[in-house]
Amino acid sequence: MLKGSLAGSALIGLGVLGRFLGFQSEANPPGQYDLGPSTDYPQGSRIQVPEAQVIVIHSDLGYIALSLVCPHLGCEVQVTGDGFACPCHGSRFQADGSLHNGPASSSLTSLRIEESAEGHLILYHQ
Amino acid sequence: MRHQLVIVSFLLLLAAGYVLLKQAQTPELTSLTPVLTGQVEYCLTCHADLPEISQSHPVETFGCVICHGGEALAVEADLAHSTMRGGANPSELSVVEASCGGEQCHSGTPQMYRDHIQRVNTSLQATYAGAIAQVRYAFGAQPDLIARMSINAVDGLVAFNPNQEVSPSLQAFGQNCLSCHLSAQLLIGSEYNRWGGCSACHSPAPREDGTSVHKLTTAVAYSQCNTCHNRGNYSLADVQFHPRTDTPTDRLHDYYQPIAEFTRCEWTLDCVDCHTRQEAMGDGHLYNNKKEIQYIRCYTCHGTLDSLPLTYTIKDEDELALRLAFVNPVIDLNVGDTILMTEKGEPLWYIRLMAEKVEAVPTYELFTKATGQSLGFKPVFGSTCQQQPDQQEARYCHECHAIER
Repeated sequence: MLKGSLAGSALIGLGVLGRFLGFQSEANPPGQYDLGPSTDYPQGSRIQVPEAQVIVIHSDLGYIALSLVCPHLGCEVQVTGDGFACPCHGSRFQADGSLHNGPASSSLTSLRIEESAEGHLILYHQ
Repeated sequence: MRHQLVIVSFLLLLAAGYVLLKQAQTPELTSLTPVLTGQVEYCLTCHADLPEISQSHPVETFGCVICHGGEALAVEADLAHSTMRGGANPSELSVVEASCGGEQCHSGTPQMYRDHIQRVNTSLQATYAGAIAQVRYAFGAQPDLIARMSINAVDGLVAFNPNQEVSPSLQAFGQNCLSCHLSAQLLIGSEYNRWGGCSACHSPAPREDGTSVHKLTTAVAYSQCNTCHNRGNYSLADVQFHPRTDTPTDRLHDYYQPIAEFTRCEWTLDCVDCHTRQEAMGDGHLYNNKKEIQYIRCYTCHGTLDSLPLTYTIKDEDELALRLAFVNPVIDLNVGDTILMTEKGEPLWYIRLMAEKVEAVPTYELFTKATGQSLGFKPVFGSTCQQQPDQQEARYCHECHAIER
């Protein structure tokens, strides 16, 4: 009886301590992102994927993924009639992501995008 | 052996109980990983109800810790707040470089218009150098009115230390009259209630119950300036601050204390509608007194009998005027618009030449920075005004345009 109580106490204690010590504050963001079937991105389309903070442009040159994170301080730029605008500090970008005016000093970042064997578009953040 | 097992088991159970108790006391965690830092922080666990501080500082991008400091992973209040910069005000000048600085933020180059911290630290609002020089001169501690001392040592000015002054009056000046600069210990009373550092002007004053408003703005109302200005006078006779004794009930009387003449636009507008950012925040150079940095005159906007006010047509998307109009969008300003400009080249971006009135005598449209109100006005040029072109100080305008109070 005593042995059983001791073993139970030890197991409970070890279990809770293990959970406490094994706490992870936040998972790292995924390095790649499945954007879904490429057929969802027809030729000539410009489709935002908010959860990946990216816009996928399907042009004659193929698929282009532009990050919607402003290269100035990291706010998410908004799509406007003629390109992109940062709501935080007023930087603006042309439709192809090139810098129109600051305070940002560089264009929107172009991210690697590939079509998988299964026909899905895969976005690589790094 | 059995005895040791009992002790170990008991300790493990005790530890488990402690952990479960702590978890029960801990609120459900709200995590945030700001884009700028990429480091998780748990401040929103307790502060989720705070409004966004400004459009330029969204919490998803900045988080809290990059400005406020503090322990990002702590959820126990004392621990979380233990390393905050400047207490509740990270813009205190003693910590502002760490909180608000950075070349992409507010301590970049003058060319990029981001040298705010350097300009403010050398401004008279922070150094109080003009008042210190004048009072030291008045009591014989220095031979001229050249600024040599500052509240804090900066750019060749040494820190003013009243305890090292021989004159009892200067010692009293140090005790009684240093309540206005940006690092000052405030006088007691809600009329003096404000923050220090950048927030002295750019954040609403704390409420009377001590709670604060989480906000940064460039739409600075006159009432914000009045927490320091127009609250009374310092007297060299007894080296004391004498609060104003009237109790104004309207803006006309509240704006300025009743010792001076002024015109309608001097109280209809807010202080920042006339006084420029360089006047208020400094231009990066040290000045001996307020008169040297304060250069706006009536003619800056109204011109004279023989000349129109200076204007400038915006040519480029990157110009300062457009940046300022973006931050405080009281005016829809665009490339090609003609705005007023000061003699030092500062854009008065909120005053535009009205396009449909481009004729012999133009008309200008001013949008007040604090309220966005649109006000049209014409220049002196071509009017029946008797103002002489060589008499441009406000007192000459007051001869005809002073308002009765």
